[in-house]
Amino acid sequence: MHISEGVLSGGVLVAGWAGTLVGISIGLKKTETEKIVKTALISSAFFLASLVHIKIGVSSTHLSLIAPVGLILGQAVFPAVFVALLLQALLFHFGGLLVLGANTFTMAFSALITHIIFSRLIRDSRKKFSLIFISFIAGTFAVIFAAFLTGLFLYFSDKNFINAIKILMFAHIPLALFEGIATAFLILWLKKVSPEFLS
Amino acid sequence: MFIFALCYSFAVSVSDKFYSLIFASILPLIFLLKDKKIFHNLIKINLLNLIMIITLALTWPNFNDGIIKGVLIALRVNMIYIVFVEYAEGIYDALIYLRLPEKLRILIILTLRGIFVLRERFDTALISVKLRAKKLNLKTFAYITGSVLLQSSQRSEKILQAINLRGGFNGFMRSKNEKPNLIFMLYPIAIIILNYA
Repeated sequence: MHISEGVLSGGVLVAGWAGTLVGISIGLKKTETEKIVKTALISSAFFLASLVHIKIGVSSTHLSLIAPVGLILGQAVFPAVFVALLLQALLFHFGGLLVLGANTFTMAFSALITHIIFSRLIRDSRKKFSLIFISFIAGTFAVIFAAFLTGLFLYFSDKNFINAIKILMFAHIPLALFEGIATAFLILWLKKVSPEFLS
Repeated sequence: MFIFALCYSFAVSVSDKFYSLIFASILPLIFLLKDKKIFHNLIKINLLNLIMIITLALTWPNFNDGIIKGVLIALRVNMIYIVFVEYAEGIYDALIYLRLPEKLRILIILTLRGIFVLRERFDTALISVKLRAKKLNLKTFAYITGSVLLQSSQRSEKILQAINLRGGFNGFMRSKNEKPNLIFMLYPIAIIILNYA
């Protein structure tokens, strides 16, 4: 889902940064200084989790965990995702620093939308089945929405990317399903062990 | 120098003509001749670039245009990568110079520290799963992540107490305030002018 350096045009890069900066400034304003420590530690836990390779069938993949990040961090998701992607770009040269704005926006915005739509539903659901179902939908939705935003950035860079975008969207469907399953297990576990963590 | 690297990358990203990219490639070529270790990492990046060029060639309306677009992107990726590798260590001074909000600076430093603190716990959990099961599946992965998340939350409370005992967030990360050398900025500007001339 990361867009590589050098793919996007100048205007789209600036638009990505503008969206990200607005998100970060709102996120920082709404997060108290005391909460920053918790945000940082949770962000690093997600960073580590996203590096783990899981074997699925004959192939292996690593999950982005966009939906759980959004559901747990809430409005602090923009700064947290920005920092995680910045460190990823610096430590592993994954993604890039100039496209950091666009990459942060795609991930963080879809996480934020997932938070807005699903967090209340997850908090209020009492039955196990409905909790699993809502978490699965949240996990799948977050990835598909992030892939859609990535496609949108590519499309506005060059309209000829359209066929590549279609392949990108199709390639993300199985990944979205796996993310949905992982999100369902994670939310179920957290709700069982520490319900206050999700609120 | 890090800010120069950012400006250089922007200039390279907006360049869509081969002659401006050739002019821009002078600096990465100098770095490449100076430090041959970069070659190793470039091989991996260019394998991915090759897949990207093939995908673009097959999906673009015109096959040749797709290849040209792919090669342009691959060139940019290589150049930006080499320049960032050279200047990556200036990031902390750049964070101060760019006057990032204090909360964001604290977040960056603590996230980086948190990765190394929690890595040990994550590794232990993964080893214990590998000893009990043949492979890591989605369910065990989710449960491990959940437990590490809870541990991170508890750990953060202790870190906050430790920070408060040492005087809170006052004076968190002060650094020298270096001014960037503006002469270097002429190079990215020249690349953009050459591209649009």
